[in-house]
Amino acid sequence: MAIKSLFWFFVGFVLVSFASSLWLFLSSVLTIMPIPLPYWLLYTPGNMVRAGVVVAALMLALYTYLGVVLVLSKLSRGFVPIIMVIAFTIGSALLLAKLAIPALAVLVIAYVMLIGTYAVLISVATTRASKALWGVATMILALIPPILIGGGLAVIDYAKYMAIIEQSAAIMASAVEAWKLGNA
Amino acid sequence: MWSRPRSRALLVMVVLALAIASVVVLVANSVSATPSPISSIRIGPFGEVNYYASQPVPGVPPGLLVRVFLVNGSVVEPVRAFIDVYANAPNGIVHVSMGYSPTLIVPFNDSNWQYVLGKWASLGIPFSEYNTSMLIFVTYVKGNESWILPLLVPYNVAWAYAALGRATPLATTLSAIAPRYILVNAFINVNELRPNKVVPVRLNSTVTDPQVFGTVGSGSSKYVVYNCSLSGSQPKIYTPLPYEFIPTSDCVGINGSLPIAWVTWGRDVLQSKGDSGLSIYLNIDFSGTIDWDAMATSYGDIGTSYSASENWGVLSREFTIGSQVTQPGSMYWYYGGATWGIVRYSVYECGNINYLVKYGYCPYYNVYVGTTLVSEVLYVPPYDTNVRSVFDYGNGTISLLYYGAIPASRQYFGYPALNASTVVDYAAFSNGNIYQCNGPVNVNTGGMYAITLGGVNTAYGLSAAELGTALVEIVLGIGSIEAAIYGVPVWLSLLLSAGSLSATIAGLLIPPSTSTTTTKTTLEIMGVTTSTNLYISVIDASKAYGLPTFGFILNATNYYGNPTTYTCNYGKVAQIG
Repeated sequence: MAIKSLFWFFVGFVLVSFASSLWLFLSSVLTIMPIPLPYWLLYTPGNMVRAGVVVAALMLALYTYLGVVLVLSKLSRGFVPIIMVIAFTIGSALLLAKLAIPALAVLVIAYVMLIGTYAVLISVATTRASKALWGVATMILALIPPILIGGGLAVIDYAKYMAIIEQSAAIMASAVEAWKLGNA
Repeated sequence: MWSRPRSRALLVMVVLALAIASVVVLVANSVSATPSPISSIRIGPFGEVNYYASQPVPGVPPGLLVRVFLVNGSVVEPVRAFIDVYANAPNGIVHVSMGYSPTLIVPFNDSNWQYVLGKWASLGIPFSEYNTSMLIFVTYVKGNESWILPLLVPYNVAWAYAALGRATPLATTLSAIAPRYILVNAFINVNELRPNKVVPVRLNSTVTDPQVFGTVGSGSSKYVVYNCSLSGSQPKIYTPLPYEFIPTSDCVGINGSLPIAWVTWGRDVLQSKGDSGLSIYLNIDFSGTIDWDAMATSYGDIGTSYSASENWGVLSREFTIGSQVTQPGSMYWYYGGATWGIVRYSVYECGNINYLVKYGYCPYYNVYVGTTLVSEVLYVPPYDTNVRSVFDYGNGTISLLYYGAIPASRQYFGYPALNASTVVDYAAFSNGNIYQCNGPVNVNTGGMYAITLGGVNTAYGLSAAELGTALVEIVLGIGSIEAAIYGVPVWLSLLLSAGSLSATIAGLLIPPSTSTTTTKTTLEIMGVTTSTNLYISVIDASKAYGLPTFGFILNATNYYGNPTTYTCNYGKVAQIG
């Protein structure tokens, strides 16, 4: 079943991912060059975290849009991304209030809901290719936490590569969906 | 919208192209074509130091790269400034390089730097046991105002040796050590930092030795005060026409015992009948790495000048007022064979630019640009076994602090140290009560009263990473994020390379590494009766000199400095007994 207004979710997903990875690439290359650079482009941990916060905020907005569109289309599974966004927001607020343990509990719920959101995306995907790509991303998403908990920092590089594959799969799935919905 | 299929088709094409481009960029990021800092340090609001293990772009050699940014309101931009770099040696400072530019590159193979590296190597101590630092001064001039920002950039000598390809027995696993690219971002915040006023002065190039030079004390408490400017204090003129900068640096070195903790008592304590017979214990306890942070006038903490692994158990020293102690003085614990330095750095600028451009040198007068003062620890032997206690009746290091370095630095440098803001009115025994003013007093068995301070951790707010606060900093990243993620910056690249919530949350699941450092300074007092009159003040010398050390000051009538009013944050009163 195709929901046409989901087109904008997929467009947004691709744009945000493109902007963040491009910033990361440019800043990491340019920072080392002895040329003047605006501060926001510097590859510093502070800037990276700031960029991460911006990306997370944009992604949350996109997932909210996804949930609302699904719910308006009489699909109650749209509540999954909405719950995820709410849980993530509450978790962040708890972290701000330095309540680490409840924050962690809420963020674990948010993470599970994120996996659920990917499953929802599989269910509304219109092509086999995007279904498969979302499937790969979902599996990696589910595998990363147990791998990190089991292996700790020793396996962080593998987790990083897995995250890159996950992200690439999600971006391509979104592009395929956008292609399909846009040309429908 | 749906009636415009052509523009929509175009958008779809763009989205597809961007998606493919994103995947390419993600892969490029991961193929380590891009460096990520292995570690990062934040120096208050003044700077940021990032360490890289690999060089992706030709042209920047292993070593130091300083970049200067002007912060004005919400604008942050690169700016030309006079950057002057010194290297800290075990016994002094050596000028390495300077330039007038937004960036300055200093490679490890700089001959001045190599001279200093040789000084460290000649100590014969494995490089892994300590870190030294570079001392950087950034001078920014705008109109008749100037800012001089001092920064300390820690590094390990082994990085330089690895970069230079030199084997040394001091770094047995040299092949495992990567050379480092140290990238420093210095921030000149013209809104928050008070500028120097540029006033015309005559440059006096003959620097006279301060009167404090010489050897003081004897035996174990002996220390030597000397000129620690190893490259000489003659001005080195730098002329990026139409500007001319004349930097000068004076360094007063103090070699000998470096105080860890001390207790000082006044004459009134000895004369007070109620205090006679009091047994006083000063205990210290430490294991882990000590970071000695340098302090600068009107900047405060400007980074770690030296760090070393130190380790000793609980060391205790006891004395009894009236019998063992009959004259005013101090008792202190110290590291032997340590060196600290007080550096005054000034920059002069030529006042007659026309003359300078025409004749290539400055006429008889100059314009004073500004000055700054840095107190830094240069060297303490790693695993110093020479940790001892000694009484100081006027010729020890504590006397140097109170009567020597403080007045001398004020007189010689115009820098008031140990002012009231570094003194805490801690607690008092008076009229049969304990007044716990700004800190708790623990009552131990046998009527023993103990004051326990957290030591360096408390002084620098570096308490062992707690799960809660570390998580907050990792996620929010505003403020002191760099300190929290020191050592685990991979989380951040993970966070961003995934670019989505997934990695952010995955990162949260790894507990942050905790510090194994323990440190404690305790003052215990035994024999307190209802007639005891003792006011206990605490001096946090780290705020004045960058020495992570605490001093207790005992008085019989009032807190240190005779304050007429004082605020008690703790403010608990209990009966003695």
